[in-house]
Amino acid sequence: MSISTALRHFKEPTKEELTQIFFSLPPTSGVPKSDNSSDEDVEKMEINAVLSVGEAEDSYAGKLHIMPPYLAFSSLDRKSVRFTIPLSTIRRVERLNARAGVYALSLLTWHGMKIIVQLTSLRPTADLFCSLLRDALKVELQRGQMKLVKGFVKTCYSELLISETSNAGDNEHEDGSLITDEKSGSRQEVSYHGGLGLKFKFPGDPKKLREGSKIKLWTTYLKTHGRNLTLLRYPQCTRLVQVGLPNRLRGEMWETLSGSIYLRFANPGYYERLLEEHKGRTTTSTDDIEKDLHRSLPEYAGYQSEDGINALRRVLRAYSFMNPELGYCQAMNILAAAILIYMSEEQAFWLLEVLCGRLLPGYYAPSMHGTLLDQRVFESLVQRYLPIIHDHFQAVDVQLSVASLPWFLSLYINSMPMVFAFRIVDCFFCMGPKVLFQVGLAILKINGEQLLQIQDDGGFLNLMRDYFASLGESAHPSSSDPRARAITVFQELLLVSFREFSIITDEIILSERKRFRSEIIHSIESFARRGAVRNLRTLGRFNKEQAGLIYDALYKAMCIVPPPPATAPPPTLLTTADGHHEERPETRIGLRTFRYFLSEIATWARDDKIVMNGFQQRLDREVAEHEFIDRLFYFWDTGCHGALSFQDLVSGLDGVMFNDLMDNIEWFFNLHDKNKDGFLTKDEVLTLSETFLFIFRYEIGDAYLGAVSRFMTNAFEYGDALLPQPEQSKSKDSNTEPESPPPVSSNQPYLNLATFRMVVLAEEVLESFFETDLSESFKLEHLPEMDLPLANSGILGDLWSSIATDSNKKIFNMFTDEIGKTIGKHQARLPPSDIHPGLN
Amino acid sequence: MADSASGSAADKSVQVKLVLLGEAAVGKSSVVLRFVSNEFQPNKEPTIGAAFLTQKCRLEDRILRYEIWDTAGQERFHSLAPMYYRNAQAAVVVYDVTKASSLEKAKSWVKELQRQANPNIVIALAGNKVDLVQSSASSSSAASPPESEDEADDATATPGETPGAAGEPESLRQVPREEAQAYATEAGLLFFETSAKTGEGIVDIFTEIAKKIPIEHILASTRGNAGRPGAGGSRAEGTRQQAVNLEEDPNKAKDACNC
Repeated sequence: MSISTALRHFKEPTKEELTQIFFSLPPTSGVPKSDNSSDEDVEKMEINAVLSVGEAEDSYAGKLHIMPPYLAFSSLDRKSVRFTIPLSTIRRVERLNARAGVYALSLLTWHGMKIIVQLTSLRPTADLFCSLLRDALKVELQRGQMKLVKGFVKTCYSELLISETSNAGDNEHEDGSLITDEKSGSRQEVSYHGGLGLKFKFPGDPKKLREGSKIKLWTTYLKTHGRNLTLLRYPQCTRLVQVGLPNRLRGEMWETLSGSIYLRFANPGYYERLLEEHKGRTTTSTDDIEKDLHRSLPEYAGYQSEDGINALRRVLRAYSFMNPELGYCQAMNILAAAILIYMSEEQAFWLLEVLCGRLLPGYYAPSMHGTLLDQRVFESLVQRYLPIIHDHFQAVDVQLSVASLPWFLSLYINSMPMVFAFRIVDCFFCMGPKVLFQVGLAILKINGEQLLQIQDDGGFLNLMRDYFASLGESAHPSSSDPRARAITVFQELLLVSFREFSIITDEIILSERKRFRSEIIHSIESFARRGAVRNLRTLGRFNKEQAGLIYDALYKAMCIVPPPPATAPPPTLLTTADGHHEERPETRIGLRTFRYFLSEIATWARDDKIVMNGFQQRLDREVAEHEFIDRLFYFWDTGCHGALSFQDLVSGLDGVMFNDLMDNIEWFFNLHDKNKDGFLTKDEVLTLSETFLFIFRYEIGDAYLGAVSRFMTNAFEYGDALLPQPEQSKSKDSNTEPESPPPVSSNQPYLNLATFRMVVLAEEVLESFFETDLSESFKLEHLPEMDLPLANSGILGDLWSSIATDSNKKIFNMFTDEIGKTIGKHQARLPPSDIHPGLN
Repeated sequence: MADSASGSAADKSVQVKLVLLGEAAVGKSSVVLRFVSNEFQPNKEPTIGAAFLTQKCRLEDRILRYEIWDTAGQERFHSLAPMYYRNAQAAVVVYDVTKASSLEKAKSWVKELQRQANPNIVIALAGNKVDLVQSSASSSSAASPPESEDEADDATATPGETPGAAGEPESLRQVPREEAQAYATEAGLLFFETSAKTGEGIVDIFTEIAKKIPIEHILASTRGNAGRPGAGGSRAEGTRQQAVNLEEDPNKAKDACNC
């Protein structure tokens, strides 16, 4: 059983991160950087600008961002026009002859395209922007990135398309395959990346898909608007994507539109190195991958051959090595198999990274929280935009997710025939994750009438299955208008998706996710908690509720001091099929986490202070550190793992919390009897006494101190007395083993349980400690709900959530303490003791 | 909608929701496939979330219509399982007789079902891939390479994991029949050893489940709720009635499952 606190660490993206996401930029952290981190503190800036390029397109006002090593632009409406260009593809920057008050730059890109940006902010701002741009370009030059562009663009099919522009257009078959005498001349130096489709054919009928004319349209567009690294996205780009990408260009366009091309560009050779480094390695993820290789789009010819299977294996393995925390999740095989039809392994690898990391965040994580969250969001959108369907589903108890979960998880690839699913994937990469929601809503809306007839989950699924099977048919078969008859069910679906549900924006998705995130996290956590308690081998004498409280304390401790990730034992070459590694590694906590855990449960394992400084009264809690706590840790580690599982904690606590007087004395004795020979050594008696003093450290008055010191005196007296002496002195108790020599060394058996018991019972204070106080010093209490790192929406919420981190709270507390001290109101005192209320 | 229409037209057809659970690659999907279409297909699409299939089963004069939810086995899909087993009247928990850990997982599923699912759910435990440990299979499995995908009753076996390489087939067995049987009896489960590859024991699971399910009550509650045949409502009521009289003529039904 593994316990994860990963969801606690979620942070809403900052504004800067949102901008990066919008421009499909790789996150600043995350994927290991290939080289220098010198551009960590490069300055970013945005400025108002008007973009124009050539005669063909209108000018668009918007914002120009410099985010080294990228330059990006978006029009004011954030959807008509945008680009993201690596600075290394900019070959010349000129300040255009300024007419009065006009400040314009001309940027020449690698592809010979001239982009004019007129900076419309105030002059000093524009100057600053220009100098940042100049510096950033210099850095790129020094990093040698500029030189890489030439080799990189050759891997893109679009280059081939354009270089042969004059004749290529006519050289293409209708299916997009080229009529060439392959091996001749110039072709050899162009080695563009392609997918399995080149060898095993692309799905669908190229004639029907009108590949030839699509290629022509794209050739024209790419010639005038840049391509791959320097693509400018004008409205026509989106329109062309919506009618379906041509097969040969699809892979490249996916990586360009999704931004995964920037990762591939920035990390040359990374994919191959990763595979090399982890060659022959097996993990739980790689085992899971093997199981699914032969059931990933098995109907596609490429996956009936070793070529396809091996490519799929390598891409999934590589991803699981790069991101071991996520590893591999079923459905990723479907995505990988789909994209590999259109792109090379390296391209697919980076696209998978963008999919799992940015486009479908948390979908495939071990908790699948992103999936659950988006299902919840989808349900709420259905409720808002299709209330009648939602109400009907509620009334007949049909769960939307039984159908919609795979839609989202596999980008419809597992639900629709491939040709149609890929059209949706085209739009998804171009327009973002909102597409999944728009299409989902459209499916429900189109099927609205029949949906109101269904009575259960099964009926819902059957209806959806029939609908997806009909996507290629005419939407209006009985219409008299031949043009209406020609519209397919699928075309109708896209039409409804993007016309009627264009109201679903990225912003709506983001804010809905924010709204439901804590609900989802809570339900995942409580599900995990139930499972953990249920799967305990033994509850001991606890009931389930108490075990739940122990879980809570453990969970809280894990949030504060995260244990090392639960891992299977390191794989060795000797790991054979039989000596299989642990399937589900169990979460175990180390000593540091254990101290926090114990401080939640045992009164003596924490140092509480009540602080008043005139502004606030608060309880400062510090985790106590003492040899005794460490001793307990190892005492409970019965399996000698050097770490404790939830079960260990439950069993450990069970061993002390239900004890009576005699049990407790024995428990305490055993705890200090390190070699378990039934005797304490003299040293152990001393340690044991120190434990007493530690536990009693906050007891007021001399009663405890006196008791402990008398205990020690007695223990030594009896211990010495009971030692077998040569002259066989009078002994009250015959409970001793003979055979030790007279001089007592510190590690020799000295005091047995019976004697210990006798000495303890001679002290009333100690007797009562063992009678009740020890067991009662462990308390299982309901912990206050932990704050999720995210607060509810709203400006104030954001503000507070950014203040309310733990460290900030500490700073705030220190601050008020200081003020309190200066005005003489600061005082700290101990809370009333828990150990023995009766005695105080 | 033909399906639900036929359901209500034939008054004697009873719809039973059944869910399959178990560790990844124990052969859940193969078991279903064998039952539903009497096929064994080595390569299957993995189930994302759950696959949904239906199959009819005749029992005396009744027709049971099984609605089968074949769930994904990967651990991280676990949290989605309640979506599929809610309101289920029957569950088949599958493990692999050649893999001891899969029985542990099966036990944990049983526990979860007994705590979280419909209180009267009929649970069957199925030890699959029994063909791999039968001596009759000895010659054939020795003769063919163990990696061969269609040789093992395991659409998804890792090549290295596919048993059969050495020794007696029986030595591949990691879960003794007696052990599993004893556990099943103690936990109140139906128990079978099955092979989706040969078909052994597959139909029996569904027949025995059919006998054990209090059909009369499901039927009665469905009829009673004819005005509003909402699944949730009717099932909830069925549950309540079952609770009153759990053991209604379990032996009455004869083995007439005819799939």
